Amino acid sequence: MPDFHADENKLTLKVVFYGPALSGKTTNLMQLHSLLNPERKGELMVLETRDDRTLFFDMLPIGLRGGSGLDLRLKLYTVPGQVQHDSTRKAVLSRADGVVFVADSQPSQQDNNATAFGNLEENLEKVGLDIDTLPMVVQFNKRDIPGVVDEQTLQQRWAPTPWAPLIMASAIQGTGVIESFRTLLDRLYTAIEGEFSLEREHRIDRQTFINGLSASHGAQHANV
Amino acid sequence: MRTFEDDPTLQDLLSEDQLQRLNRLLSALCREPVSLSGQRAAASVPVEFNLETVGWLYGGSSPAEQQASAELVSFLMMFVAKYRLAANLHHDTTEASYAELQRQNEALKASEARYRELSEHLQQKVDEQVNVIRQTQQELFESARLRSVGQLAAGVAHEINNPIGFINSNLGVARDYVKELKDIVASTEANRDLLQDFQDLIAESIDGTRRIAEIVADLKTFSSIDQADSSLCNINELLKSAIHLAQTEYSHSLQIIERLNELPPISGHPSRLSQTFFNLLDNAAQALRDDEDSESGGRILVQSQLEGDTIRIVIQDNGCGIPEASRPRIFDAFFTTRPVGSGTGLGLTVARDTVRAHHGNVTINSRTGTGTRVTLTLPVKGA
Repeated sequence: MPDFHADENKLTLKVVFYGPALSGKTTNLMQLHSLLNPERKGELMVLETRDDRTLFFDMLPIGLRGGSGLDLRLKLYTVPGQVQHDSTRKAVLSRADGVVFVADSQPSQQDNNATAFGNLEENLEKVGLDIDTLPMVVQFNKRDIPGVVDEQTLQQRWAPTPWAPLIMASAIQGTGVIESFRTLLDRLYTAIEGEFSLEREHRIDRQTFINGLSASHGAQHANV
Repeated sequence: MRTFEDDPTLQDLLSEDQLQRLNRLLSALCREPVSLSGQRAAASVPVEFNLETVGWLYGGSSPAEQQASAELVSFLMMFVAKYRLAANLHHDTTEASYAELQRQNEALKASEARYRELSEHLQQKVDEQVNVIRQTQQELFESARLRSVGQLAAGVAHEINNPIGFINSNLGVARDYVKELKDIVASTEANRDLLQDFQDLIAESIDGTRRIAEIVADLKTFSSIDQADSSLCNINELLKSAIHLAQTEYSHSLQIIERLNELPPISGHPSRLSQTFFNLLDNAAQALRDDEDSESGGRILVQSQLEGDTIRIVIQDNGCGIPEASRPRIFDAFFTTRPVGSGTGLGLTVARDTVRAHHGNVTINSRTGTGTRVTLTLPVKGA
């Protein structure tokens, strides 16, 4: 849930990258760190073990100043994907405002995707969140690997869900990462605008919100 | 830090000692001393970490020196914060896991308690069932015994009835012959004495056959060979035959006072009621025999009367009484105070079961050395 401090005029939002082990959550965050050029960007904190597996989480803070002086911050977290770190996943997931589910496109990983998605649903319920109302984006990563499940099959499979259409990505090549993030920002804005009147009180409209937080080096993004 | 994700303050990241040491080291590197503080001061630069200003750095010989120091501090802060974040998250998750474990432990305890309760309850259920089975077995045993007694009695009655019939009728004829002989033989002193004695012998024999016929009739009643399982019973008749049977058992030595008032017939099992009455009389007779204080004054009172809708039967003796220690167990099956082989320990159990089967009740009042009173109540519109 958004963390708003009226005395500091500071609003902190939390986005969590969730998904099975080795699906590329940390890679997504590293790409966002190097590709994005938002108004404010902090250090990427990576807490990983020797073998590149996330042990606790990774975190990247980015920020935006509203016309009213609102200090809007977005903290991007990843969770450890390995099954045994469930309590850490739950702790990171608590009070999340949005989720990017990073799935693995390889055919051998489809069961793991399903398990991780079930685990997400379960943990959201445990921390008092509802998967049907939480802003969420589903990304199928590793499109660069040969022999992945073809996009049409995946899109058809997910078509009846609220998370269609899926976003195809290759985080390692930097494609689809910003698109996933911008889609999430769009859904996140819809969810919080009502409560915080961002446009009326802080002069942050949808475009400002999305572009301010996801501006990339070089090219300007088209309007979503 | 409140939770792992709250933005850390300078105090969260560095202790007072560490802060002073950092200031010393930075000052040693710079040409002029520099100082990091949580408070904003004049001519200082903010030290930012993760978009948050954690402190202000002032001093130094030039803005470039100040700026470089501030960036060095920011760089260091990242590693401190990493460790802090990981440590706090670990702490949070450990606490959450511990709380979860405790919840599971509580749930487990509760479930264990439920199962223990169930198992105790189960033991109780099993005990109840065992009791039911034991009682059924005992009833079966009793009814088998009654049936065999009944069959024996039926056989005996059938075999005895015929010879008794012709003995009785022959004796009658013989008595008439003796009368005729009186007129025929010479009337001498010796002949008259002989004939008189003859007449007395025949009269005694007729009396004897009558008594045999009565016993056979009593046996028939007792074994109810002529009756259906449940029928209309005349309680007084059943009492009388039980009394006769008891007298026979004790060679007519018992002093039994009968106070039987008129009763309506009730529906019931005559053989079981007879058995009950006999058991109670047998107990009373035993109590008199065991009472060493009064050798000849032992009496049994048998009383029956109608009280409203209830028949009340009292069988009372002034015998030895029941010792207080035995009283709670007198209705228990196979509980007996008699020597091995002389009692089954079922007498009162069968009595109570029979009376209950007739929707009645049995109470026993006893005082050691004074006697015992057994009161049976049977509803008229019962069984």
